Amino acid sequence: MRDDPSVIALVARVGDGDQEAWNELVERYAPLVWSICVRYQLSRQDIDDVGQSVWLLLVEQIGKLREPAALPGWLATTTRRECLRVLRAGRRYDHEGLPPDDQMPPDPSAAMIEQEIIVAERDAALRAAFAELPQPCRDLLSMLMSDPSPAYAEISARLGMAVGSIGPTRARCLERLRRSPHLAAVIGDQAGDDIEVKEPRGEQGD
Amino acid sequence: MSKVTKGWDDEEVLAALRQALRAERAVPPEFIEAGKSAFAWHNIDAELAQLTYDSTADSELELSMRAEAASIRALTFTSAHLTIELEVAQDSLLGQIIPAQPATIRIQPRGGADTALTTDEIGCFSIQPIPSSQFRMHCHTAAGVDALTGWITL
Repeated sequence: MRDDPSVIALVARVGDGDQEAWNELVERYAPLVWSICVRYQLSRQDIDDVGQSVWLLLVEQIGKLREPAALPGWLATTTRRECLRVLRAGRRYDHEGLPPDDQMPPDPSAAMIEQEIIVAERDAALRAAFAELPQPCRDLLSMLMSDPSPAYAEISARLGMAVGSIGPTRARCLERLRRSPHLAAVIGDQAGDDIEVKEPRGEQGD
Repeated sequence: MSKVTKGWDDEEVLAALRQALRAERAVPPEFIEAGKSAFAWHNIDAELAQLTYDSTADSELELSMRAEAASIRALTFTSAHLTIELEVAQDSLLGQIIPAQPATIRIQPRGGADTALTTDEIGCFSIQPIPSSQFRMHCHTAAGVDALTGWITL
């Protein structure tokens, strides 16, 4: 379910020393690393420490990843291990002293971590799909998602769009989002027959 | 496995997208920037030396010690082939490489210029003054082992 072709292409480019690809990879997965650290209730300083270790370990080992598609799982496992290491090293308890074991933050279960991976992959796919929508679609959806969501009259005035066409445009944009190849990688074969899965960026050679 | 189903209606897609963008906004930009800059190490063949011990954890022990001893903070960094031990002394940072051997140590303050020093025969070194900002150490032994610590705040 996780063999997103764009991730495989990214990993290959990173292996060739491509900083841009690395940046994309970090942007895509930083929310996963972050959310796991938050689950461990780490301080901001400890989260930075974990982040440093995780990314450096990834730089070190990305060439050895046998299965690039397994990257999210690798990242989640490594982040979890690093969180435990930081808690064990006992930093930042300078004033209170190290809390007794029963007061240590609970270790999130493997199932919770697995859930974080699924959510992170789905979120990353949604963001990638959203980023490739035409600008008018992104503008409209962004407005619709703002809280509180503005009245159609206000959307109409701000985007210069007839009130009557907001509903249909919204439906069209969301349909386009649903059909994105990025989402196909997450949804897999449940997405329906009419979706062609192709390389999203057409950059992958060979 | 996936929680996404083909029955995703417009409301669900929009809610999922909102959640995805919110998750992205929750991550501080500096966290992402630090991740990007880690790539600078991709062609440096160094082992990551991780913090495996920090005396700050042993507060109880500290309390039971004499005042002058209590002020000493000790840190240990461990990589596959090297251990780097640090002790914060009065006005300097004392360290040793284990196994004992001569090495070159580069001190890299975050956003500042590196300084380099050489250990003695048994891997002991002293850094003066004690770095006041975040820094990391890159250790290169005479035998050719490279180890890099994570960011250190004293």
